[in-house]
Amino acid sequence: MSRQQIQNTLFLPNDERLITMISVSKIPRKTNLKKRGSWLCAVLNTMESPAKVYIYHVKKSDRGEGFKKKMSWLLRDLRKLDGKSAEKPSPEFDLHFEKTYKWSAASVEEKEAFISSLWRLSHRFLIQKPEFENIPERLLEDIKDPHTLREKSQSVDDISIEGEDYQALSAKEEADLELLMSECQVAISNAEVFTEQLSKQLSVLDGANIHSIMGSEDQVLNLMRLLDNGIKEAEQIEEKLDSYDKILANVKEQMEVMRDKDTLMTLRNKNHQRLLEELQNLVVIRLDMKHIQALMDGDLTTPAGIQECTAAAQALHRCMNADIHPSLLRLGGVEEQQKRFKKLSTNFSKRLVHHLNNLFIHQVTYVHVYMSSLSKLYSREVSDFIENAKQKLVAAKESKGKLGTATLSRLTGSSTSLAKLDHRGRSGSIQSVDSSAVKYGSELDIAIRSVFDQVLEKVLTEMERVCIAEQDFCFKFFHLIDKNTPKDEDQEKDKDSTTEGGGDVETDVWVARQTYSAAEGEFITENLGQGLLQKRAAVTVEINMMAELFPQLETELDGFLTHADKQNDMYSMYMLVRMSQHVINNQDMGSFLGKTFGNCLIKVKRNFDKFIDAMMQTIRETKTSKKSRCGIISFVHSFEEFTNLAESIFKGSDRHADLDKAYTKLVRVIFEQIIRVAQEHQKTPREVVLMENFHRMFSILSHLKNPCLENDRKEAKQRYTENLQAYTVNLLGRPLEKLHTFFEGVEARIAAGVKPEEVGYQLAFSKQELRKLIKEYPGKEVKKTLEHLNKKVEKQLCEEENLIQVVWHEMQNLFINQYKYYDSLMTKCYPDSNITLEFTMDNVLQYFSDIAQSH
Amino acid sequence: MSKAKTHQPTVIHKVIMVGSGGVGKSALTLQFMYDEFVEDYEPTKADSYRKKVVLDGEEVQIDILDTAGQEDYAAIRDNYFRSGEGFLCVFSIKEQESFQATQDFREQILRVKNDENIPFLLVGNMVDLAEQRQVSVQEATKRAQEWKVNYVETSAKTRVNVDKVFYDLMREIRARKMEASKQSNGKQNKVSRKIKCTVL
Repeated sequence: MSRQQIQNTLFLPNDERLITMISVSKIPRKTNLKKRGSWLCAVLNTMESPAKVYIYHVKKSDRGEGFKKKMSWLLRDLRKLDGKSAEKPSPEFDLHFEKTYKWSAASVEEKEAFISSLWRLSHRFLIQKPEFENIPERLLEDIKDPHTLREKSQSVDDISIEGEDYQALSAKEEADLELLMSECQVAISNAEVFTEQLSKQLSVLDGANIHSIMGSEDQVLNLMRLLDNGIKEAEQIEEKLDSYDKILANVKEQMEVMRDKDTLMTLRNKNHQRLLEELQNLVVIRLDMKHIQALMDGDLTTPAGIQECTAAAQALHRCMNADIHPSLLRLGGVEEQQKRFKKLSTNFSKRLVHHLNNLFIHQVTYVHVYMSSLSKLYSREVSDFIENAKQKLVAAKESKGKLGTATLSRLTGSSTSLAKLDHRGRSGSIQSVDSSAVKYGSELDIAIRSVFDQVLEKVLTEMERVCIAEQDFCFKFFHLIDKNTPKDEDQEKDKDSTTEGGGDVETDVWVARQTYSAAEGEFITENLGQGLLQKRAAVTVEINMMAELFPQLETELDGFLTHADKQNDMYSMYMLVRMSQHVINNQDMGSFLGKTFGNCLIKVKRNFDKFIDAMMQTIRETKTSKKSRCGIISFVHSFEEFTNLAESIFKGSDRHADLDKAYTKLVRVIFEQIIRVAQEHQKTPREVVLMENFHRMFSILSHLKNPCLENDRKEAKQRYTENLQAYTVNLLGRPLEKLHTFFEGVEARIAAGVKPEEVGYQLAFSKQELRKLIKEYPGKEVKKTLEHLNKKVEKQLCEEENLIQVVWHEMQNLFINQYKYYDSLMTKCYPDSNITLEFTMDNVLQYFSDIAQSH
Repeated sequence: MSKAKTHQPTVIHKVIMVGSGGVGKSALTLQFMYDEFVEDYEPTKADSYRKKVVLDGEEVQIDILDTAGQEDYAAIRDNYFRSGEGFLCVFSIKEQESFQATQDFREQILRVKNDENIPFLLVGNMVDLAEQRQVSVQEATKRAQEWKVNYVETSAKTRVNVDKVFYDLMREIRARKMEASKQSNGKQNKVSRKIKCTVL
């Protein structure tokens, strides 16, 4: 049996004793486990104290016959032992340590023995016993009765019974014992003698022991005394320490009291300060007697009174909206004051509402009266003014044909009559129109246009001024409250009846009105400052009002613009620029005027577009004279003039983009129409028309230097160059026409692959043929032809565009090049034939010089 | 254009630009005409320009014939020299050759025009590149004095003296014309054959 073997090899070296062992296998069972032995051993380790019980899992080692400990647990750590079933005998059982291990014993008996052994061990050595579950009662009851246990255990496991007192001798004890026994040789042979000897020795030792105990008594006593002394002194020190401690405790207490007091004091100080601040804030809130007086019965009819009331109301407002802590509102004084404020404000509100009510009723009726009477007046005035302006334009136009001072005086006359119309001292600037008109006496065309420009500017500026003046007036006047009606009416009358010749009356009124409005101004700004009036509302009101006051303004202006447009459609450019400028000036005002001008601007822009369209239509419909040479087509001239005028008008205007668009459209049409005219013209060759007109267009566009027209400029240049080329080439076909055809043929042969030297062997290009042709062009003849050509060029080209020299220059070069070309072909194709033209290069140059000299 | 004919005919002064290739004749012309300076050089064949200007308070028209500097045969120029009323003879101050060439131009002009006192200006261009100067002011002035003409230095690039040369020449032309009309009022003179500023 391996039990002894295990005990000896595994446990003995560690001073452990094997109590019980059981042959087991793990569940689930692994196949190879069967071959090797596997045991669970309960082992008592007495070396440690208190004694511990281990449970080992022991296996036969892999090699040889040895054993090894596979796992070990303390019995203490066994939480539960599960016997699987109390009734049905089964070899299986579970050990619950930190993990659960399932085992199967070799037999039920073995298992039961092992369990009961563990049961006993745990009862003996453990305080915390593991749970034993599903285990037959009989196994566990054993121990409950100590007697049965003793009896039974004797039979079951004698080792464990003996083990109660028996302790294995350790190696040292064994050695001592052996030494002892070896000293008494008798011991082995005679135990009795040995025992006797031992007890003798023991009694001797006892005696010696007692003796030494007795001897050491004095010393013990001495020691005791010393200890007593030490204790006493320690007690004394302790007492002292206690007293110190008491004193310290006292001090600590006092310190704590002081700290508490300090915090209390700072807290109180802070509170005092806060309270003081609050009170100061509170005390500041109060209303001046003066203000109270003003609120109670301030005069709302005088400006001074109003000012006072406003100040008082503002002060009250501040007082009532003062930032007071809600809890402070409960203070009696504060409450009372707030009540008083409230009462004051209610009273004042009532008074103000009442007063305003009165005023509004006044004003509404007044506004109606004012508007109905003034709108009529303005309608008449505006229409008269516009009518006059129209007349002035007509006058300017009529005078166009005439020269001299008579015209100027007439112009001046009409503008003075225009000036007479003017009201409220506006005439001064109208006269300046007349004075500036005088300057442009020399160039009548320009003068008339500039007169128009000035009249237009005048009309717009005047309208603007009247409207703005009226608007300002209404704004100030109707926001003013409480003025006695008679005075208002005076004011109105004054305004209406003021004429240029008013003299004394006029100045009086002006003074009166100015002082008046100064006071108003102040009031309004304050009023606005209080937010009583909202500006936006004011603006819409103002627009409506102005629309009612000037019901005819837009129609009249429109009429004027249409009229001017009919006079001369170029005016639309002036109108566009001027109008746009005025619209910009009035833009930010968002006013009636801005709106009116804006509408007019749209119409003016349409007029301008119409003007451009009309120009384009005229260009399309242009017919040229069939009898004379074409020259520069009239619309090209017109375009040049148009650009000059337009540039002067649009200079610096933000409307230049409109002009650019117009340019682009016009240039397109002009290009198209130049081509049409060139095709249609009977007298002048197509190329000449194109060349001259595109040359001019190029020049015009170069002057304009408008980036939008850069491509058109390039195109013009391109077309000019092309047609210059085409013209010279086509004309030059003639002077040596037959020769030209001949050499063209020669060239075609060479191009077709005939060797240059062999061309002469072809019948059509034989030397004889060439000689015959050359004879047809003697020097004299050529010179005559060239002279004729020069004349023709002069006849077909117009003086105006000055391209004769350019064309002739080109022609000369071309002729010389051709001469050289014929010459080179002759040397190449007819070598050694000594064929040359009838005239030399020097002859040609001489002909050119002669032609030049003939001019 | 019908309207133009009702106006009094504008006086036309015909100016010819002469000089070797690449001295800046076209650059001067374009600067005067359109206030622009073109860096790229492209040889001119011949081109004609026209501009209305105010000369001492009088509105006149200047016709400029810008000619080719490179020409194989001088005789080709005869015709336009013949048509000119005044000449701007241009050379580049940084090119001695172009200065020498002015001599030939001068001679040809005198031969073609058959007039010693033809309005004529010697123009030294490219004064903006003075550091590359090859023709000294003294040298040019000396030649001008020999010819009894004025010498002006210009820069087509920086517009120095550009207006001056054209306006000075126009004044000379105008003076010549007035002189000629006086003479033609008296007795018939050779000079009176010159083109006068009238529309046919």
